[in-house]
Amino acid sequence: MRDAARDPAALELLRVQRARLANRMRLPWWYLTGSAILWALVFAGPFSSRYLPRGVPTWPIFVAAVAVACLMQWGLTRATGIKLPFRNLRYRPGRPVGIAILVVFLAASETEFLLIRRDLIVAAIVVAALAVVAEMACLQAALRVTRRELRGGGGAA
Amino acid sequence: MTAKPDPLIHPITRLSICGLLAAGADWVEFAALRDAAGISDSVLSKQSRVLEDAGYVEVRKGAVGRRPRTWFRLTAEGRQAVQGHLAWLSQLEEAVSASTGDAQQPRPLPGDRDQPRRVLPPLLGSS
Repeated sequence: MRDAARDPAALELLRVQRARLANRMRLPWWYLTGSAILWALVFAGPFSSRYLPRGVPTWPIFVAAVAVACLMQWGLTRATGIKLPFRNLRYRPGRPVGIAILVVFLAASETEFLLIRRDLIVAAIVVAALAVVAEMACLQAALRVTRRELRGGGGAA
Repeated sequence: MTAKPDPLIHPITRLSICGLLAAGADWVEFAALRDAAGISDSVLSKQSRVLEDAGYVEVRKGAVGRRPRTWFRLTAEGRQAVQGHLAWLSQLEEAVSASTGDAQQPRPLPGDRDQPRRVLPPLLGSS
């Protein structure tokens, strides 16, 4: 068996192997499509108060969306062969993207509520569409962070 | 973390497996690990069993339909050992490059007549 210390390229080889592993981390088309649909549902939320008849519960939609999100995450793990740990805002490399996702969500939702209240429906739809695009850009940025971390070894040399 | 060699993960195949598992993923599937490491199924099975017996790697087996699926992840003990070993290897690499970097001079390319003019003045201390 080859000895790592006598082989000066051992760490270089590991870098190449980690790059190969990072390259497996690609988002399939169905994941991108599903994410876009889920974000569109989220940003359609503010319209429900105005257009859904009173008494119609919205929680089944919410539960279904969470179930679909979990299913998509499971499918992504299966497709890539890589299960990532759960990360919150304490995870430093992913913090800017996490904050961006939250800011876009809050800003877009508030703006939509404001525009709907003033009967500017077309403007509210445009805001919702832009917010979906922004969230998808954040998803791509999060993927880049994940790939960079896998390539760099996540802090382990 | 202390930089120290670990004889168990010193062979390059085990180093590859452990280094990939320490890259930041929680669990890595058999095929993904095999492809990234560029090793055969049998080598991965054999070496992962050695690492599992040592308590460095946790193995989870399941199936999707009829296809068996095996997932690997580093244990806390394994992660500590890998990080120490990789830090030791980095130190070794730095030491080797520092010792060879000073002594190594660029070798003249065939037909490179300007090389003495480029190399000699800094060595002789002239402007």
